[in-house]
Amino acid sequence: MVRSSGTPRAQRPRVSGRTQLRRALPAALLPLSLVLAACGSSVGGAEEAEGDDLKIGFIVPATGLASATGLAMQAGFELAVERINADGGVNGQDVTYEIQDDAGDPATTSQIARRYSQDNAVDMLFGTITGDTAAAVQPIADEAGMPFATAILGDPPVCSPYAWPFGESSRQLLAIQVANLMEDYGPRIAFVGSDYNFPRDYAEAAKELIEANGGELIAEEYSPLGTTDFESTIGRLSAAQPDAILAMVVGSDAVTFTLQGAQFGLLTPEMGYEGAPLDSDYFGAVSAVTTGREHVVRWADGLEDEDSQAFVEDYVEETGLQVPVSEVAANAYYAMLFIAGAINDSGAGTREEINEALAGFSFDSPLGEGTRFVDTEGGGHLFQADMLTATVTEDGYAVAEDHGVVDDVTVSCQ
Amino acid sequence: MELALSCITQLGLYALLALSLALVFGVSRIVNLAVGDLAAVGAYAMVATAGLPFGLRIVLTLVVLAPVLYLLERGLLGRIRDGLAGMLVTWGIGLAIRQVFEVVYTARPRSVTEPIAGSTTVLGSVYPTYRLVIAAVGLAVVVAVLVVAYRTRAGLRLRAVADNVEMAALMGTRPARTRALVFAVAGLLAVLAGALYSPLLGVTPAMGFSLLIPGFVAVLLARPASFRGAVLAVALVVALQVTLRRYFSDTVADSLFYVVVLVAVVVRANPHTRRLLSWSARPARPARSVPA
Repeated sequence: MVRSSGTPRAQRPRVSGRTQLRRALPAALLPLSLVLAACGSSVGGAEEAEGDDLKIGFIVPATGLASATGLAMQAGFELAVERINADGGVNGQDVTYEIQDDAGDPATTSQIARRYSQDNAVDMLFGTITGDTAAAVQPIADEAGMPFATAILGDPPVCSPYAWPFGESSRQLLAIQVANLMEDYGPRIAFVGSDYNFPRDYAEAAKELIEANGGELIAEEYSPLGTTDFESTIGRLSAAQPDAILAMVVGSDAVTFTLQGAQFGLLTPEMGYEGAPLDSDYFGAVSAVTTGREHVVRWADGLEDEDSQAFVEDYVEETGLQVPVSEVAANAYYAMLFIAGAINDSGAGTREEINEALAGFSFDSPLGEGTRFVDTEGGGHLFQADMLTATVTEDGYAVAEDHGVVDDVTVSCQ
Repeated sequence: MELALSCITQLGLYALLALSLALVFGVSRIVNLAVGDLAAVGAYAMVATAGLPFGLRIVLTLVVLAPVLYLLERGLLGRIRDGLAGMLVTWGIGLAIRQVFEVVYTARPRSVTEPIAGSTTVLGSVYPTYRLVIAAVGLAVVVAVLVVAYRTRAGLRLRAVADNVEMAALMGTRPARTRALVFAVAGLLAVLAGALYSPLLGVTPAMGFSLLIPGFVAVLLARPASFRGAVLAVALVVALQVTLRRYFSDTVADSLFYVVVLVAVVVRANPHTRRLLSWSARPARPARSVPA
């Protein structure tokens, strides 16, 4: 296993001594690798992903703007691999993986994916957080005929038979978000988002669903990423007199908008508020404003089933981080269990066989009974799992309602 | 009225940052690329000291960081005479600050609780009280620094070093010490800006980058050694930015803002404009004797 040397140690989740030894070994072998490389050898490049064992190329923004989410995903992924290997591995052998830090930069992501692909040393790819980095990987995975799983994107940027997005789609979220907001607050919904492709696609899907439910999208506001003053946006939203605000403002902007919205009297308890700012990533920063509100999720650390609680306990012990546990960590965790189950079930060994195994597999987990992928209209896949309404509490997210699977095959990938 | 209040609030923040940039550039001819990251230091100091009274947290932060900034200048920037090299050093300082925060706090956004809640009615406009308070504090500090710079002996030494460092040294001023002191004061202005405005922002390691633009534009538009000019320029920049955002969507407003700024910078860099500005600022020459 090789690790990126660029990952700050203090950011990494805590690991066991045995794992540390495994991680230290490549560093010790690095000088030898450099000598061999200088002599024209292809270090590791000649190795084929042969046999029935599973080798995964993991790409994570362990540094940079998306690093908090990336590290959560990494922790969930590694916990799953530990569990899989403790339970006997895949096809009777331990799952192995290689981790590279792309820092959330699509150019770096592309280089990493290309190297994984050219080395032919991995059976499948897993990871990335942002849509642009996933889009950088997908053509390379397609070219190599290699499955590529993500833990956060339900609407992958590129529809592909090799794309396996374990996140929920916009419409799976919105179907419940819109219904909840209109039922609890009223039919006049205003939308605010960061100004890039995904929030605009999200608003378009929201508008369709709001109108289909007899409501009205009365305002749409977008702000460039990195906006520090939302006063004018808040003023326009207030002037529209909405019953509820649907927000797809991300990153630090989610916190800035929420804080300023409360300071300017927009986000009162009487005003509905749902969307990305209520995600667990921002819980510590905005819980004073969001506590008591409902938020639609696929998994919450408030799920009381034994498996989820064991995962939460392991996650907190491994990382030292406090709850609420990020949803993307659970997505990565159960995604890996799904993948291992699919391969064990079919005995798949090659990339194509793994791809086929993922398509036909059905898996019971806290994400739902019989979770599976379905084909989408654009030629990709969409993960079918339960959707939940959780209530934001002072301690985390308490599950209020399980909506079951929300059918959707209309993802917005190009 | 709301437009005016919005301008004043933003001016409180950006005047502190622009003056910070102008002070360092004035005496050292170094563009301090770490100014936004120093603001982030102020914001994270508020996160780290949560639980203590807000005012005490700010005072503690400034007291602790003053010697650190002084030593930073003496240790890293003091011997650099090349503006580009100095700029790269400040870029490195900013990078180090961001990395430290990312390691210690991760990139997950934090928040700071505002010490004063509620709203105040100003000439019929209801406005968050805390915004009014920090705008007043920020602008009062800016005025105080300008008074020191233009009305005291210490300010005279500062402007002497900014105008002609060799001449100032010959007249008994110690430029190295002045530069270090100015860097410390300028750094504290940025830290203060970050601390005061932290309850309005999502606090992240990269937050400083978002705060840079108006200050940089102001320094570009003002004369190098003119601290008053930098404050005046940032007032115009903020007024333009806030007004555009009032009447256009944020994205369109930002696009128009950059177009106007680009034109202004090009005009400002034109030799004829520079000559006009230098004439307006040139002191009267002494009368020369007429040859017989």
